[in-house]
Amino acid sequence: MRFLPFLFVLLATPLFGQLKWENPEQTFVPKPQDKQVIARYRFTNVGTVPVTISDVHTSCGCTTAALQKKQYGPGESGEIAAAFNIAGRTGHQEKAIYVTTSAALLNPTVLRLKVDIPESIKIEPQLVMWRLGEQPVAKTIRIAVPDEIPAKVVSVVIDNQAVQLDLREIRPGKELEVKVTPQGTTQAAATTLVIRTDYPPGNPETHYAYARVK
Amino acid sequence: MTAVRQALWILLVALVPAFLASAFHPKRPAWSEDVLQPGEERLGTVQSWGDSVLWVDARSRKEFDTEHVPNAVLLNLEEWDQLFPAFLDRWQPNQKVVVYCSSLACHMSEEVADRLRRNSVEPVYVLKGGWEAWKSKR
Repeated sequence: MRFLPFLFVLLATPLFGQLKWENPEQTFVPKPQDKQVIARYRFTNVGTVPVTISDVHTSCGCTTAALQKKQYGPGESGEIAAAFNIAGRTGHQEKAIYVTTSAALLNPTVLRLKVDIPESIKIEPQLVMWRLGEQPVAKTIRIAVPDEIPAKVVSVVIDNQAVQLDLREIRPGKELEVKVTPQGTTQAAATTLVIRTDYPPGNPETHYAYARVK
Repeated sequence: MTAVRQALWILLVALVPAFLASAFHPKRPAWSEDVLQPGEERLGTVQSWGDSVLWVDARSRKEFDTEHVPNAVLLNLEEWDQLFPAFLDRWQPNQKVVVYCSSLACHMSEEVADRLRRNSVEPVYVLKGGWEAWKSKR
């Protein structure tokens, strides 16, 4: 029966020491020129015993979590800051931050960081493909730059002559229709369409689409 | 005997909130994890397809470099423009593509699979349980 107090302490720790998180899941929509998103996860120790944060780690190297201190007394609040570097990423990004505390050593709290980075250009589809022996009919790639992005498409060129391009500007620099026609489909071919923009100034973005005969 | 009775009472009292949480908690885990989402496939099924499958690793380059499914190709959203051409070089039309991510830390496999489908790469499946499922069955 001597083990009962220990059993009680083991079972009671999660009951008496708990961190309550204000926003464990946060979503951000950064502006096109933003380089970083910082999420702040605030918590309060709503238990009756101090809680020690023993480990904070992230799902990807792109997020760093900063912790002010490790031990928080009853009623004390704190914050974990996670910085997400946008660095050329686009679309939906989802990261997780795992927080291990003395209140739940085997069951880390998972904080989520979702970032929807607006695409500076839309290329649909990014791949046009013909099967070997298929009729070499033209296929269309649509390129669009959202109005809120101050960019224009300045050129669309190919890296070899396995396909022909027929460009039509629907809205100059903002919306283009590119008809791609292979020279033939009797042998495999691979062409890259290089789509250059004028934004950002000094280091304009280049995007790519692909044509394949397979 | 008193101590045993007390312990039993503690367990009994603990069972009440446990039962309520399992029945009514909005984020309670499913009793069965065996339900496939649309586009998902189990590891056993994928393995039955043999070596013709093209494995796509949607995790970070760092995780891929540490370990990955043999012959998998790295293709994540963060480096899509750099990695997509290498995927195209490996992929053959009508080849089954199976995308995996870390089921614990990453939910990118669905997005990578969607993006491939939007580019007429078919059929594309997401591995149920992700990298952890593959790792645990090795």
